[in-house]
Amino acid sequence: MLAYYLRLGLRSLRRNPMLTSLMVLAIGFGVAASMTTYAVFRAVSGNPIPDKSAQLYKPLIDNWGHANGRTSDDPPNAMDYTDAAALMKDGKGVMQTVSYPLGLSVIPADPKAKPFRVYGYATYADFFPMFGVPFKYGGAWPADDDARHAPVAVIGEKINQRLFGGANSVGRSIDIEGNRYRIAGVTRAWNPQPRFYDVNNTGGFAADPPEVWIPFTRAVDLQIPTWGNNNCNGRVAPGWDGWLHSECIWLSYWVELPDAAAAARYKNYLHAYAAQQQQAGRFDWAPNVRLYNVTQWLADQHVVPQESQVSLLVAMGFLVVCLVNTIGLLLAKFMRRAPEIGVRRALGASRGEVYRQFLAEAAMVGVAGGVLGLLLTAGGVLGIGMVFDPDIARLARVDVSLIALTLLVAVVATVLAAFYPTWRAARVQPAWQLKSN
Amino acid sequence: MLKMTHLSKVYRTEVVETYALRDFNIDVKEGEFVAVTGPSGSGKTTFLTIAGLLETFTGGEYLLDGVDVSGLNDNARSKIRNEKIGFIFQAFNLIPDLNVFDNVEVPLRYRGMKAAERKQRIMDALERVGLASRLKHYPAELSGGQQQRVAIARALAGSPRLLLADEPTGNLDTQMARGVMELLEDIHREGATIVMVTHDPELAARAQRNVHIIDGQEVDIAEDPRFHAEHAASSHV
Amino acid sequence: MQIKPILSALRHHKAGTILIAVQIALTLAIVCNALFIIQQRITMLTRSTGIDEAHLIRLQNQWVGVDDKHVGSLMQTDLDTLRRLPGVADAYATNSTPLSNGGWSTGIGLKPGGKGERVQTAIYFADDHTLDTLGLKLVAGRNFRSSEVVDQMQHDGLDPPQVIVTRAVADKFFPDGDAVGKRVYLGNKPSIIVGVVARLQVPWVGGWAANWEGRSTLVPRRLMASGTNFVIRAKDGQIDKVLHSAPAALLASDRMRVIPDDDGVVTFAQMRQEAYQSDRGMAILMGVICVVLLGITAAGIVGLTSFWVGQRRKQIGVRRALGATRRDILSYFLTENLLIGATGVVLGMLLAVGMNQWLMNTFEMQRLSWPWIVSGVIVLLALGQAAVLAPAIRASRVPPVVATRTV
Repeated sequence: MLAYYLRLGLRSLRRNPMLTSLMVLAIGFGVAASMTTYAVFRAVSGNPIPDKSAQLYKPLIDNWGHANGRTSDDPPNAMDYTDAAALMKDGKGVMQTVSYPLGLSVIPADPKAKPFRVYGYATYADFFPMFGVPFKYGGAWPADDDARHAPVAVIGEKINQRLFGGANSVGRSIDIEGNRYRIAGVTRAWNPQPRFYDVNNTGGFAADPPEVWIPFTRAVDLQIPTWGNNNCNGRVAPGWDGWLHSECIWLSYWVELPDAAAAARYKNYLHAYAAQQQQAGRFDWAPNVRLYNVTQWLADQHVVPQESQVSLLVAMGFLVVCLVNTIGLLLAKFMRRAPEIGVRRALGASRGEVYRQFLAEAAMVGVAGGVLGLLLTAGGVLGIGMVFDPDIARLARVDVSLIALTLLVAVVATVLAAFYPTWRAARVQPAWQLKSN
Repeated sequence: MLKMTHLSKVYRTEVVETYALRDFNIDVKEGEFVAVTGPSGSGKTTFLTIAGLLETFTGGEYLLDGVDVSGLNDNARSKIRNEKIGFIFQAFNLIPDLNVFDNVEVPLRYRGMKAAERKQRIMDALERVGLASRLKHYPAELSGGQQQRVAIARALAGSPRLLLADEPTGNLDTQMARGVMELLEDIHREGATIVMVTHDPELAARAQRNVHIIDGQEVDIAEDPRFHAEHAASSHV
Repeated sequence: MQIKPILSALRHHKAGTILIAVQIALTLAIVCNALFIIQQRITMLTRSTGIDEAHLIRLQNQWVGVDDKHVGSLMQTDLDTLRRLPGVADAYATNSTPLSNGGWSTGIGLKPGGKGERVQTAIYFADDHTLDTLGLKLVAGRNFRSSEVVDQMQHDGLDPPQVIVTRAVADKFFPDGDAVGKRVYLGNKPSIIVGVVARLQVPWVGGWAANWEGRSTLVPRRLMASGTNFVIRAKDGQIDKVLHSAPAALLASDRMRVIPDDDGVVTFAQMRQEAYQSDRGMAILMGVICVVLLGITAAGIVGLTSFWVGQRRKQIGVRRALGATRRDILSYFLTENLLIGATGVVLGMLLAVGMNQWLMNTFEMQRLSWPWIVSGVIVLLALGQAAVLAPAIRASRVPPVVATRTV
């Protein structure tokens, strides 16, 4: 019977090609607009580290208060050196790391090759196991190297290719700005999005994966400045040491805690630490600390760009208008066939049969709209680079789940839109239609 | 076969109540050919739509093939229409989008018949009305008489016990009308029960029995003054 | 045209009427807000930076293996190389430029040590060539002297004895226009305002600097950091040549440097393109949605009205038989559409304001102003009338004889 209804539907749709294409276009455009913007939204609002997002925590300590006319009640979104060093020394988490971004020049051993720029992080050994960085060769440097301020480095696949032709370079050395580092490991391409561990400097999205990591302790010894943001409030004494011991915030602190209970204990610890700073006279305000897990942190920092949210909303509104449009057109189309419905009812079609016949027809419109929507979505995702930051646009992809979702949304939306017209069709009184002649 | 006792049908609007049928009685036996006559607005079409389960009634009792139909839901009523009743309308009411074959197929589809059996029945029915060669034609490509034959084939295809015809020749010229009428008589002779509504006395005369409706009631023509008044009035014009 | 018979006819097409009205309402709400977003974005991306972008190039340079303390002489050598280059009008070195979306900012006020009223200002490192290179318009005071330009280590406090500020900064503290010669404080020591420039945009084009995008301060300082930006002014018609000759000349003078391949040397036209990419894209996206939305709504009106005309052919024939002129029929359908449209836009205005309110609460969005709503209303009513015209003309051509036919 379904085949019969599909055949009838096809015939009816072919009879009014204008009306049919109008409905298909409306559904297609509406679905494509929604799905394209959804593809972006899905990409930017995803969980970058689903396995551990509830174990990784971002502690914040308010070291600014309301000094110098600051009005915000929230702690600044990064940490100063004093607090980061203190927390690191206490080491209350299972693992913890402090990091800051680096922009460095690598000098190739080959004197004919030009120096080139790499970006990466100064951090602690725990960084790699905490964030699940995958290694191709070797691994993180031993924790011992942090304490020894050792000249070791982890490099990315790309510069390993450039410097060593992709060979296992563990144990060999790399010249960064005239200093030699022993290579402890080579990572595979690793670039979780959003870049949760460095939202402060990337806004959450960065196209190129980091390519070099060196011990934080070593970087500070060499006075390598941050490649990222440095925000100061209050006096800064001259020189590197003056800066280190200022209230300038430029560090990203992360701690791994096994469960909620541990997180609660850690928060108490932060509170106690801030209270102690208050007693010592460094803060003249009550302890003000935060502890966010990954998803909370991304939400707090509004990582999902406004453009993405606004355009998703507008596109969904657009889809709703397209559906209202489809309801009207289907109503016109179905009611024009009231005489046919009357005859079918007289010949023994129950209301259920009328429902099935017309919903089948609507579903075909939905499928056609979905296919058109799919093509437009594919085009839209390709063209999305025009609208969004390329760092974000390239994250949007057409995959099997998006294709399935596009078709599903098109068919479900159209069938929902068809319910009212179909209900009206099923209510057609056979007697009235047949008598009126 | 078809028995209505004290049947009434009231149309209510906000302002008035109109009785389309009032205390209406009829009893059609199996195999009868009954013509229901009456002037326009007398309620004869209302009778037919109620008889065909296209409409519900307000009061009284209606037994179709011994079954009381008043309590049936839409599905049950649809099933009865499909299996026991064949309709022939004045305006043919073929579906313009479907060709002859597909039009005749419609009631069989709702019966969930196998394709082979459907085809056999359609061919038999079209053979019966002499249109087996026009399978692929669309209604618009046929004459009025041919369209009505297709409609009759559609009514016959499901082998209904009861055939309801509403002015079956009303839209046809005399020659075509005669052909259609002869077809109905043939069908009757083969054992079908036929109830035909018409205002044409000549056509009515060819049925076995006539039932007259005036103002929603069955009347005896000889005695009812309203019939005479109407008749007299119309004969003066 | 009488409205009453139209209203009573509409009661028989309740569903269709409501659907068209709802569609018009939703379209109005979306189009108003989308147009408003477009307008805001266009306002943003057409803002001037105050500099002569057409002639300017930014070159990002990183010296390799040099202690920050020794950057000064390298910088001077490179600047000499660049300024001598054919096609180059002038050049200077700085920490940041407009449209770069990265730079320094600090509070500026009339009291030392961060006390008193302060506003945020962008800090641009500058020398005596900066005004000429950027093409800035000095509206009061003088340029920096070369003797005033001194070295500055990255982590030392910033207390230059002289500053040049934009009019936006000057007017904030000295509304009478007498800023030149006055003291302001970036840190603990006073800085004298020696000059005022008409306009110089801050490096950030995004939301966080939106309220102070014109407040910039030039400091006579050379930043002692291994990475620096050279801003090069090309002579007329020479910009493409300089784009290639400048990095080549620098690499020829000293190979121990990194000038990134992808975005190391860019024109300010490219920087503008990149800085406003998402704003422009958003405007385009909203524009496309508006156009398609209006098209679909118009098509929907055509579709439903055609259906009504088809349904009412007989009725129209009867009216014609009873003496209605073609004009009467035409105006009947136009009036009918206008009534539905009017209902739709009233509903739509409420929706538009509600949607805007919600966007304002959730995102950084300004209040929708009435002219936008009014123009949206006019567009939609006109669209409705245009859409209904074809079916209405078809209706007016129904011959009176239809009245006598049984369909």
